[in-house]
Amino acid sequence: MPSMDEYCVQLKQAVVDYNRDQAVAIAQTIVDQGLDAQKAVFDGLIAGMQVVGKYYEDQYYFVPEMLMCAQALYSALDILKPHMPQTDLGLKGQVVMGVVQGDVHDIGKNIVKLMFEVAGFEVKDLGRDVPLDDFVREQLSSDADMVCLSAMMTTTMTGMREVIRKIKEKNPKCRIMIGGAPVTEELASKWGADGYAPDANNALREAIAMVSSLHEMYQQAQARD
Amino acid sequence: MEETMNARQRVLGLLTRRPVDGPACFSGMGNVTTAGLERLECSFPSVHADAVKMADLAATSFELFGYESAVVPFDLCVEAEALGCAINTYQDVPQLLYPTIRAKAIPRTEDMADFQVAADFLERGRLPVVREALRRLRQGYGDRLAVGSYMLGPFTLAGQLVELDQLFLLSLSDRRLVEELLHKLTAAVIAVGLSYREAGADFLTVREMGAATDILSPRAFQSLIQPCLREVAASLPPPRVLHICGSTDKIVALMAECGFDAISVEPKNNVRASRELVPPETLIFGNLDAFKLLVHGTPAQVTQAVEEALEAGVDAVWPSCDIWPEAKVENLDAMVAATRQRGAELWWRNHGS
Repeated sequence: MPSMDEYCVQLKQAVVDYNRDQAVAIAQTIVDQGLDAQKAVFDGLIAGMQVVGKYYEDQYYFVPEMLMCAQALYSALDILKPHMPQTDLGLKGQVVMGVVQGDVHDIGKNIVKLMFEVAGFEVKDLGRDVPLDDFVREQLSSDADMVCLSAMMTTTMTGMREVIRKIKEKNPKCRIMIGGAPVTEELASKWGADGYAPDANNALREAIAMVSSLHEMYQQAQARD
Repeated sequence: MEETMNARQRVLGLLTRRPVDGPACFSGMGNVTTAGLERLECSFPSVHADAVKMADLAATSFELFGYESAVVPFDLCVEAEALGCAINTYQDVPQLLYPTIRAKAIPRTEDMADFQVAADFLERGRLPVVREALRRLRQGYGDRLAVGSYMLGPFTLAGQLVELDQLFLLSLSDRRLVEELLHKLTAAVIAVGLSYREAGADFLTVREMGAATDILSPRAFQSLIQPCLREVAASLPPPRVLHICGSTDKIVALMAECGFDAISVEPKNNVRASRELVPPETLIFGNLDAFKLLVHGTPAQVTQAVEEALEAGVDAVWPSCDIWPEAKVENLDAMVAATRQRGAELWWRNHGS
């Protein structure tokens, strides 16, 4: 019977190869055998997505391949998640995210959402073509720690400024990330956003980077235990 | 430069590679400005289904800034709507928004194989409105400026009809299904293009926006998209332009192979390098940032960018996307002025020199 480490290697490879059936089968075996689901997520799924991110960066993989990998990851995560113990990484929280009104491009947002979910955040996904006031209302009602706004179209982007102002006015501690093709660092900072990703590629990269740092935190937490 | 031609003669001369008196400042994509809307005293949502307003608004950039083409429509949903999508024109939203797809024509991938282009689709949605606007533009301005229109490329159009992530996934997992849909849409794009030409469009731009290497691999472009674009180019009368947003360095030669008279690229493209890869008879347009430069830049930056683009080897001063409505009037003035003042001198590929 393979060891846990071997299962993780197989799981990682299944994500990289976008082999959903294989990812699901290994995840199920891990659960059936009562093995460490959290280790499987971090050392298998997330490790696999890190390779995918690198492939994407190197233009070996493109958006379709990235989506296939994400699909394999999601399917395995569904099986593993109920069996994950809570490890306190100091990063738990709620995230509100959506694509602003006038824009229906949500692939970047969906990948980032997946990464947040893998990392254990509770995500309130408002979807796409979301009226600006809905972001403000949702943040105020849920007291979410973070709001992520995405826009691919320039004309839709200008509405972000107003959302940031309204949220920061009521809740200065809320972190606001904005992303999308027309967003620049200068605009993000001018409008009071806490972070930005200028395009879909960058949003994916940022999400992978976030997961990578979580991986390190997880390993440090394991070492402490 | 000493002008011996009017805008129409210059643009059409350039597009058919005849000698012209300098580079043209125009594009085959949208050029609506808030200044134009204010001049007509109309709201953006009110123009999408009104041929008179559409034509009048398209001509404002010529009248206000000397832009050398008038292009309709203004949004990317016209063909998709005629093929069965429901659109949102944001009638009651205070900020200016472009129409988007509210409901897909093929909401479930299981229905993709059965999708058929309706025999009378050219009469559906706003296609008749766009044709009427083209007729009006040609009648009103056909002696002075070039009248253009655009269609989405087959793959980008497929992304309007089907959920985009599903289309991408199927492009890997069920290639044949995607190819069959693209085959039907290629015929639809050609039919729309021919109807626009018949209505009065002098030139057509095909916008295959979802095909850049930010999204798809060059091999996917070559095997899945290029055959459709070749068919579109071969079936439409010249002049026709192929536009692709985003990163195109690795597919620029493949774009040229499609058979269009010109290719249009964004600033992410290295035009100097592309010029080496693209046959001399294929014109290169673009490389001028329609948002960061024209909306947020200064007139001095615009002038510099125009000069650099011409030095790099573009054949027209052509913003590489729709002119954003919020573009500053002084920047548009600077773009046209820079073309007139130094264009003829800097345009080293001038076919007439």
